[in-house]
Amino acid sequence: MSYARDLLRTRELLGNLVQREIKGKYRRTVLGQLWSLLNPLATMLVYTVVFSFIFQARPRVGDPSGLDIYPLWLMSGLLAWSFFTRAVTGGLSSIVSNAGLIKKVYFPRMHLPFAVTLSTGFNWLFELGVLIAAIWLFGGFPIPWIPLLLVFMVLLGLLATGIAMLLAIVNVHFRDTQHFTAIVISMWFYLTPVIYPISLVETAAAQRGDWILTVYRLNPMERFIAVFRNLLYDNTWPALDDSLVCFAWAIGAFLLGYVVFVNNEKRLAELL
Amino acid sequence: MTESAVVVDGVSKRFRLYRERNATLKSALMRGRASVYEEFWAVRDVSFDVPRGTTLGLIGRNGSGKSTLLKTLARILHPDEGQITMSGRVASLLEVGSGFHPELSGRENIYLNGSILGMSRKEIDSRFDEIVDFSEVRKFIDQPVKNYSSGMYVRLGFSVAVHVSPDILIVDEVLAVGDAAFKTKSKRKFAEFRDQKRTIILVSHSMPQVRALCDQVVWLDGGRVRAIGPSDEVVDAYLAHIDADEVDSNEE
Ligand SMILES: Nc1ncnc2c1ncn2[C@@H]1O[C@H](COP(=O)(O)OP(=O)(O)OP(=O)(O)O)[C@@H](O)[C@H]1O
Ligand SMILES: [Mg+2]
Repeated sequence: MSYARDLLRTRELLGNLVQREIKGKYRRTVLGQLWSLLNPLATMLVYTVVFSFIFQARPRVGDPSGLDIYPLWLMSGLLAWSFFTRAVTGGLSSIVSNAGLIKKVYFPRMHLPFAVTLSTGFNWLFELGVLIAAIWLFGGFPIPWIPLLLVFMVLLGLLATGIAMLLAIVNVHFRDTQHFTAIVISMWFYLTPVIYPISLVETAAAQRGDWILTVYRLNPMERFIAVFRNLLYDNTWPALDDSLVCFAWAIGAFLLGYVVFVNNEKRLAELL
Repeated sequence: MTESAVVVDGVSKRFRLYRERNATLKSALMRGRASVYEEFWAVRDVSFDVPRGTTLGLIGRNGSGKSTLLKTLARILHPDEGQITMSGRVASLLEVGSGFHPELSGRENIYLNGSILGMSRKEIDSRFDEIVDFSEVRKFIDQPVKNYSSGMYVRLGFSVAVHVSPDILIVDEVLAVGDAAFKTKSKRKFAEFRDQKRTIILVSHSMPQVRALCDQVVWLDGGRVRAIGPSDEVVDAYLAHIDADEVDSNEE
């Protein structure tokens, strides 16, 4: 508990670290903050061409929004996914990449993965803002769902930070972690219904056994993506079980990461 | 008796010296479960008291554990044995400008570094001009610090650290940097600190400086306290020891 108090006392440092991440990132670029929008736009274009035109994937029709537009359906899930992976990979390397700072000054080190999540979240707000505007433009009405969306953003942030804190400690001992995580995340992406609908998996499960779907839904990101699509694309309440699972994963992962981090923090400076 | 600002009680710090330390899973697996390392005590059973408002100097040969001890005082390292009690706000200056981000401007870095050292935004606001004046980099304050000369970099970092106005200041060989004018200036700043009844713990290899600045000196030798006492006494003993060593090695 005294560690939490330390974190609270030094919250201004967290603010400054977040600013450092945000300002440092697009320094000396002509487009600046716009880059954070161009990246998802480019991805959207590629997936839309490949899946919508080449594979002829049809998105679900939004219920009750009535939307039937693959790029919007895709982005409703993809934005959550990209926030998650950026926060995890950035947070995981935040300790090793700030070795110089850790060896020279004391401050609660947990601010480093926190700063990554918050600055990633800040950029993500822009992307979400544009997506919400686009959905509105094409006939959806996501505005009333924004408060609930923010709640799930926080939960997703907790999940990502928890995993990042855990992996950051492991990464100090074994630098393999960051390379290994990159592979796991790219496999995880295809195992999560981001670019294809879960109905494909349901069909497969109906033919080959229900256990497939059960295993599939153990993945917390599947739940989060479902919730984000409910809120953004369908404009409706997320399923209760999805919401509870998201909540449990977020709190569980964060607490685990927190405890592991606090117990290992003291030795970080000499291990780096 | 005046109260103690810092009490160091039986502090030891141990490092593990790994035969191969390349932090990969492969090397861990090849080693088997028990990793191969030797234990090495960099600081061993060190105890001393620093009364409030005094300056303590740490001296000793290279590798005698001075920086390691300072890092445990600064909470960067955690002692394996013993306890450290500090009363008041602590600022450490182990390497100047270590919290700087090269792409950010001097101004932005003052805020970042100040908050790393424990200043609130308000405090930095109110001392901003002082910090900039002391560092003499006003003309370049809105330039990214990677364009600074190394001297300017050091000045700005030092300036931020001394304006944190801590109750206890921990410094490692920082006075060795900067040009002559800046050295004079930083010495004056230290004198000012002493007048304001702040406690300073510093490491230096410059014996005249130690005599001039310190009330009390701890001489570390191989991680242990070799001598402790008034600065002139301990410095004389240390210098005599070094001279004797030199005679020894010349005779061989
Ligand atoms: N992270 C570390 N891992 C292993 N050994 C270390 C580590 N840091 C310091 N040491 C060892 O501890 C000993 C004391 O080092 P320290 O830096 O405290 O010496 P010092 O007295 O500050 O020397 P100098 O006068 O050269 O600055 C040295 O033998 C050094 O090799
Ligand atoms: Mg040293």
